[in-house]
Amino acid sequence: MSMHSTLLQTARAVASGEQSAAEALEASIARIEATDARVNAFTGTRFEAARLQAQRVDAMRTRGEPLGALAGVPFAVKNLFDIADEVTLAGSKVNRANPPATTDAVLIQRLQAAGAILVGSLNMDEYAYGFTTENTHYGPTHNPHKLGHIAGGSSGGSGAAVAAGQVPLTLGSDTNGSIRVPASLCGVWGIKPTFGRLSRRGTYPFVDSLDHLGAFADDLGGLALTYDAMQGSDPLDPGCFATTVQPVSRSLAKGVDGLRVGLLGGWFEEMASDAARGAVASAGAVLGANSTVVWPDAAQARAAAFIISASEGGALHLQRLRMQAADFEPLSVDRFIAGALQPAAWYLRAQRFRRAYRDKVNALFRDWDVLLAPATPVAAPAIGTEWLEINGQRFPCRPSMGLLTQPVSFAGCPVVTAPLWPDGTDGLPIGVQVIAAPWREDLALRAGWSLAQSGVAQVRESAL
Amino acid sequence: MTEDETLRYVQASAVAVGLPLEATQAKRVAAHLQRTSVLADLLDAFPLGDAEELAEIYCPAPYRAGVA
Repeated sequence: MSMHSTLLQTARAVASGEQSAAEALEASIARIEATDARVNAFTGTRFEAARLQAQRVDAMRTRGEPLGALAGVPFAVKNLFDIADEVTLAGSKVNRANPPATTDAVLIQRLQAAGAILVGSLNMDEYAYGFTTENTHYGPTHNPHKLGHIAGGSSGGSGAAVAAGQVPLTLGSDTNGSIRVPASLCGVWGIKPTFGRLSRRGTYPFVDSLDHLGAFADDLGGLALTYDAMQGSDPLDPGCFATTVQPVSRSLAKGVDGLRVGLLGGWFEEMASDAARGAVASAGAVLGANSTVVWPDAAQARAAAFIISASEGGALHLQRLRMQAADFEPLSVDRFIAGALQPAAWYLRAQRFRRAYRDKVNALFRDWDVLLAPATPVAAPAIGTEWLEINGQRFPCRPSMGLLTQPVSFAGCPVVTAPLWPDGTDGLPIGVQVIAAPWREDLALRAGWSLAQSGVAQVRESAL
Repeated sequence: MTEDETLRYVQASAVAVGLPLEATQAKRVAAHLQRTSVLADLLDAFPLGDAEELAEIYCPAPYRAGVA
């Protein structure tokens, strides 16, 4: 466990008066200042605004006013979230010319309403098109557990900031794996809720058909508290389908009692290293999972997710690509252009496939409550790695880090990523996807709680 | 598509959408599109009936049950 206070410990300490919000914030600021030159998780900080907010929280407690569930918890956000009076970079150079945001993103507003304190914005792959956070404009984010290795992406700063102990809570986005991949490689908890669960208003888009928002945390209970605080309907966001809040925190301690837990085979074994399969086996042993389950049409789903992402992403940026292609990220600009040129027939077939695919995936959950799979094929590669070898097959490294996440998010299922530490990785973590049926985040979090209680899933102190 | 066919497609479609491309960049883009075409072939081989509609992307207004 971390020597720093975890999210839940901080929330409880502030609530009880054992620690002030100002003290929790200063500890976070000191850690950021001591480590971020090496990690490069942050692209912007707002310490003075955070100090004012912490003072307000402490004044409320002094007056005996009720505090929110996350009162005094420092947090940071991927820099595609709008922060009032700041330019939303979305990892790009091009967006620097945009006007500042006028209001905070909805999820920032909700966390602040719960008392959490925003300290800054975090590095990412440009326009969220990548799995490695090797950002040429702002520098790569380094994995806190092994500097010189990737933190994953596209929410790499979000994963690394939690793993480095800089903040106990961050927000990110996940289109094809951009929360689950950095959570896996950095060894922290992550949640990608059901597609359409949370408001996306006030964030810079990548692929409207696939974009999700979610969170990273250094403990499972804190992740659940955060998820509860972020929920709520949003009639102004056409992509937010949830009309009620379905809290999960109180049901966590039920664990996996009565749940049917399976292990995903097929694609999810073939595209995983021995270490990644070992992580799933360890989690499965704790959760009583004995049966192997075949997820339907995983290869086709990954193909369809790839095509839809390229097409929508390329089309979104087409005007900028016409005029400013030279200012784009060199590692992804050619993929954006290729996406903009894809035949419409490819895109439309992928969207038609998605509907049929959804029905097959949902049918799977008639027999299972929770399914387990690796989040990444391997542990964190070195920054600059071009090729991966997985079970004797050679794959391009950057797009392939999402091989195991894309089929799942394409169906829209909620996933909790649990941090495991298997053998054969030189001490690096690999996450396990804990997958549930759409709208059943509670089941994935309950299974995560069992993994945390057993100790098989845990956040470890980095050697920074 | 062959590599040459993909490159010609990239050059022609870039003109169609008004996207200037230098020769070297066109080749790199074609290499990406060539890899994606393999994925498109995989989906093309997947059996889909004519009645399989698109996943929902548009709703004119929230549906209200009981309103004629």
